[in-house]
Amino acid sequence: MIEARSITKFFSVVNEKGLAEGLTAVLNVSLTIPDGKIFSLLGPSGCGKSTFLEILAGLQAPTDGEIRIDGSRVLEPLPSTRKEMEAYKRRYRFISPVANGVFRDHPKHDIAMIFQDYAVFPWMTAIQNVNFALKLHKIPRAQRNERARFFLNRVGLAGVEHKYPSQLSGGMRQRLALARALSVEPKIILMDEPFAAVDALTRERLQDDLLKIWGETGVIIVMVTHDAPEAVYLSDEVVIFSPGPGTIRNRISIDIPRPRRRSDPEIIEIQDRIFAMLQYDLDQESEYSI
Amino acid sequence: MAETYETRGLRRVFLELWGFIKNSVGNFFSLEFLSLFIPLLLLWEFLPRWNILPESLVPSLSTVAEKFWDMLLHRDLVFHIAYSMSRFFTAFIIAVVLAVPIGLLMGWNLKIRAYLLPLWQLLSPIPPPAWVPITIIFFGIGFRMHTFLMFIGIFYPVLFNTYQGIKDTDPRYLASARVFGASEFTLLRKIYFWHAFGSIIMSLKTGVAMGLVMLLIGESYGGRAGIGYLLGQAKDYFVIPEMVVCMAILGFIGWFLIEVLKYVEIKLAVWKVGR
Repeated sequence: MIEARSITKFFSVVNEKGLAEGLTAVLNVSLTIPDGKIFSLLGPSGCGKSTFLEILAGLQAPTDGEIRIDGSRVLEPLPSTRKEMEAYKRRYRFISPVANGVFRDHPKHDIAMIFQDYAVFPWMTAIQNVNFALKLHKIPRAQRNERARFFLNRVGLAGVEHKYPSQLSGGMRQRLALARALSVEPKIILMDEPFAAVDALTRERLQDDLLKIWGETGVIIVMVTHDAPEAVYLSDEVVIFSPGPGTIRNRISIDIPRPRRRSDPEIIEIQDRIFAMLQYDLDQESEYSI
Repeated sequence: MAETYETRGLRRVFLELWGFIKNSVGNFFSLEFLSLFIPLLLLWEFLPRWNILPESLVPSLSTVAEKFWDMLLHRDLVFHIAYSMSRFFTAFIIAVVLAVPIGLLMGWNLKIRAYLLPLWQLLSPIPPPAWVPITIIFFGIGFRMHTFLMFIGIFYPVLFNTYQGIKDTDPRYLASARVFGASEFTLLRKIYFWHAFGSIIMSLKTGVAMGLVMLLIGESYGGRAGIGYLLGQAKDYFVIPEMVVCMAILGFIGWFLIEVLKYVEIKLAVWKVGR
């Protein structure tokens, strides 16, 4: 279970006049994600959904609030007083708070993350990529190859173990990222626009494969997307973010049993509702800016 | 992986050598290059020979080749080359062993960068030849002075290029490794280093070029052996063919070392091949 309690993220940015300016990327977002569910975070770009996902993964410290995964805290929030801030800076003088340790590999939580542009390492072959993740999770050397092959087979990448990512197609690279994430048998998979960079047909196949694998393993999947049909087709709940500052605008739970059909009238109806909502936001925004 | 390196032993060594020769000398045997290069060589041979250019100032190709053979037999050319190269490699190895780790650390950590970077930014604009007088006072003329001067020439380009390559590492690679639990040391070894590998090899190539420049400058300030010394002597006695031989040897050494680095890059950065 993931619990996000009133997460706020505040950045200092430099505006066009060269002055420091506050930017609230995420404001007071609370969200509980129960085990075995697929959640989608949907919204226009710049609404803080990716920032929120990185906070979930422990890649950024929230300014306020905390994330708990099965009760244990992911990252401590940034200090609020000057004195605490000085102590914080002293403590993390040489190593950033998001680092795992200087010499010891140590996965803090059972999380795997998949990024839009794959983030599989181009200097490792497919199997080396998977082995890298397995090694960090302390799988003994003797078992790594076999286990890596198993997961590569599972996502349909049998036979290309020794190819480099540059020799694979976009869809295959995304499958490799998925295999690497699955290989460590995480409880949570976070996805940052995972299918945005592949063509429409490949995307649909990848979505179906993802659902199949999810059905077999029952992990929590939290997915950031700006594709409403994808969100509705895949998720148990769609969380719609609105920008400036990033807050939860609406939550739509989808109780249609799986397997779903993309052309199901119920799904189309929910899609239309979401489109209308996003469109309304855009219209309001343009009126506001005039 | 095991499948790709099945040949072992002596056979493997020959295969690698053949691969190296094909990669380095192979460029010379393209039709395009030969159609430019052979006429150039012919011009070099026949312009002085037919007195279109004065033979006394522009030695023809055959004169230079004869001189090269003569120097090889009577002037201990091999010894001079080995003499210069031993110093060059000492300096090169010391510079790389220091510059690459410092560059790694500076690119990795903001705090270390804040301590060290301004120091190099102050020191590196000093042109390396400006170090000559003070080096002579400190080390005298000899091995230590030559090595130190070459070290100064090689160190900064390697340091800055490595640092830049590490600093530009795509944060998404780091993020995805961190989520899997990678420690900072693992990140340095497995992510930063390979991401910056291209710039590190590039920096070594620049280092070779700068090192050869400093080799000549160092050896022109005294010493009794080395290619720079031979070149100086040729200048003093006004023997133009000898100068050309020295230039050709230096050019060859630079070309050869850079080809070696290129081959290392092809061998280690297999993922870049066929992109």
